[in-house]
Amino acid sequence: MDYSSFTLWILENGVSRQILELLVAITLLATIVSVSRYILGSKTYGIYAPIILAIAYSYTGLRYGLAITVIVIFTTLFSYSFLRKIRMHYITRIAINYCLLSVVLVLVFLIINRYGFGLDNMANIPPLAVISIAALSDFFITSYVRKRVKTSLMTLAATIFVSTIGWFVITRDVISSYIINNLWIVPLLILTNLLVGQFKGLRVKDLARFTTIVSQKDNDGK
Amino acid sequence: MMVSREYRNILGLNRRNQEYIRPYNSPSAKNIADNKVLTKKILARENIKTPEIYKLIKNKQQLKFLDWDSLPKSFVIKPNKGTGGNGILVFYGKRKGETAWIRSNGQAMSKRDIVLHIENILEGRFSMSSKSDIAIIEERIKTDSLLKQYSYKGVPDIRIICFNNVPIMGMIRLPTKRSNGTANLHSGAICTGIDIATGITTYSMHMSPKSLMSDIYEEIDSTIDLRENKKLSGIQIPEWDEILKIALICQRASKLGYVGVDIALDREKGPVVFELNARPGLGIQVANRTGLRWRLEKVKGLEVKSIKHGIRVAKNLFGGEIEESIEAISGRKVVNIQERILLFHNTEDEKKKPKTEVCTAFMDTGILTSRIVKSWANRIGYLSTVEFFDSLNVPKSFKSFKEAQEYIDNNLKRLTLDSNVKRIAKVIEGEEITIRPVIEIKIKISGEIKNIETIIVTDSIYPVVLGKNDLKGYLIDTSKTFK
Repeated sequence: MDYSSFTLWILENGVSRQILELLVAITLLATIVSVSRYILGSKTYGIYAPIILAIAYSYTGLRYGLAITVIVIFTTLFSYSFLRKIRMHYITRIAINYCLLSVVLVLVFLIINRYGFGLDNMANIPPLAVISIAALSDFFITSYVRKRVKTSLMTLAATIFVSTIGWFVITRDVISSYIINNLWIVPLLILTNLLVGQFKGLRVKDLARFTTIVSQKDNDGK
Repeated sequence: MMVSREYRNILGLNRRNQEYIRPYNSPSAKNIADNKVLTKKILARENIKTPEIYKLIKNKQQLKFLDWDSLPKSFVIKPNKGTGGNGILVFYGKRKGETAWIRSNGQAMSKRDIVLHIENILEGRFSMSSKSDIAIIEERIKTDSLLKQYSYKGVPDIRIICFNNVPIMGMIRLPTKRSNGTANLHSGAICTGIDIATGITTYSMHMSPKSLMSDIYEEIDSTIDLRENKKLSGIQIPEWDEILKIALICQRASKLGYVGVDIALDREKGPVVFELNARPGLGIQVANRTGLRWRLEKVKGLEVKSIKHGIRVAKNLFGGEIEESIEAISGRKVVNIQERILLFHNTEDEKKKPKTEVCTAFMDTGILTSRIVKSWANRIGYLSTVEFFDSLNVPKSFKSFKEAQEYIDNNLKRLTLDSNVKRIAKVIEGEEITIRPVIEIKIKISGEIKNIETIIVTDSIYPVVLGKNDLKGYLIDTSKTFK
């Protein structure tokens, strides 16, 4: 692959291509999260969770990543719903949840190894990617403890949605190669974030939220 | 996609954060609002009532030595730095012979479980940024009897958004069965807009249970899950001016430029401040069917000299638009507590246009049948009826209603010989039980002509007093706001 002179200089001075790609992906993903928060109004589990999830998906592939996500969430939901009824400290409850989650994941790997379910390559998934997805459990419980299940699930859905967009963007070779060779895009992303940070207009979600006021006023005007 | 221009009047989260919260709410002021104990201390200096603290538990050692017997039967446990109503437990009574307290859903919670809950509070499970917290055990507010009719178990709270020392918008949040007795909109509580000028409720919304997206509201007319559901529009919030005043004092005391003040009405104490919110939500706009943005922009930069001035500004600027539609939304006409009405003369010639008299009528929902004073009955053509009844030598008073009724039953024919007398009514006049004739008169009130039954009474401050029977379909404005 041909690199621009600046990119080549970076790669020849102690930064590996993989690290550079990851770091550039983070800038892109962070911008996607901020745009979806302040322009779309999509509330995610902070900025860290969708970035890590998108990167994890890029290692596992979307199909495998989503399958592990679903397993993690269902296990967490069931185990926490059960554990919350038992009198114990909060952290011990989370610890038990992680223990159960590990057991379930091992069982799922064993079952998939035996029956396939169209996920035959599961055993080759990088372990760190699996652990990164499993960490979603913590974000989910923190939200679940404070808010209702519906709200927590909505935030989770938004997190997965944004992560999927992020996964799509960073796994396109055309996009990643272009950015690697045109690192001036990084300051452009900073500028984009600066502009988004100044944006005072209504988020797309606000348009839906306040539609009752507007439709009523419009009707009054007719 | 065409976006309606009306959206310009609405305040979104981005603008709220950047134009109002960040510039007007300093970190130290936000600290006050985020700390319930500190809020109570600061408001106490201004003589603002807040729920009384019974115990403050700062660590597990204090929890271990907590004197449970010293707690009253009903109380509330909440985290000092909690958000969105999380971690709040309300206890309505103590189970006999046990160390267990009863919650709003009727279930008892043992001391063991309460201790665990308090430990979770101390660990910061419900607090902002999950830092360790303090547990507050405080007084449970006993809801005002009027508002109690509209809420399911919990305490309704009134939120007033204040900016630049002007109350900008108000709403009342009513707990429902779905919200499990809490006034949390996300849990399903009802939000009802309040006309800032009059304190009369307007439109009501609640979050649609069917909607997948959160924050999507559905309009409703009445309460949803009470034994007897009641119409939500047209309720006069008691002590409205006092509530506005308290909200502005809270703003001044906390130094929050943009604040949401949550006030509950206690049966005995009156308005009690629950908490101050440095980042009040935007659902209030839906409840009031109008945007906050234009209201905030109107008062931005205004020099507001005093609390009274702030209230006056709010009433003048924001009171006008809703009052026009009060009748439309409630389906009822608004009348003042003392309203000028027209009395039509009693005439037998129907072709001839009847003469009319203008008088002041008093609206009294405490009586059933309307009343007209004798002199005014004479004036509008019932002189012969009055003279006839006076000539009957009816006893001046009766010992009981039963005795009066017996007299009426025995003398009914004689008492109703005059064709204008429709029936005979028993009334209390000057602390004595007496009987009086009832006639039908024609009146014009609030543009509407109607025939009403009135008792001819000998003494009254007002020429006519309209009772409950004739006030159906009217909203009584006690503050003379509309006229």
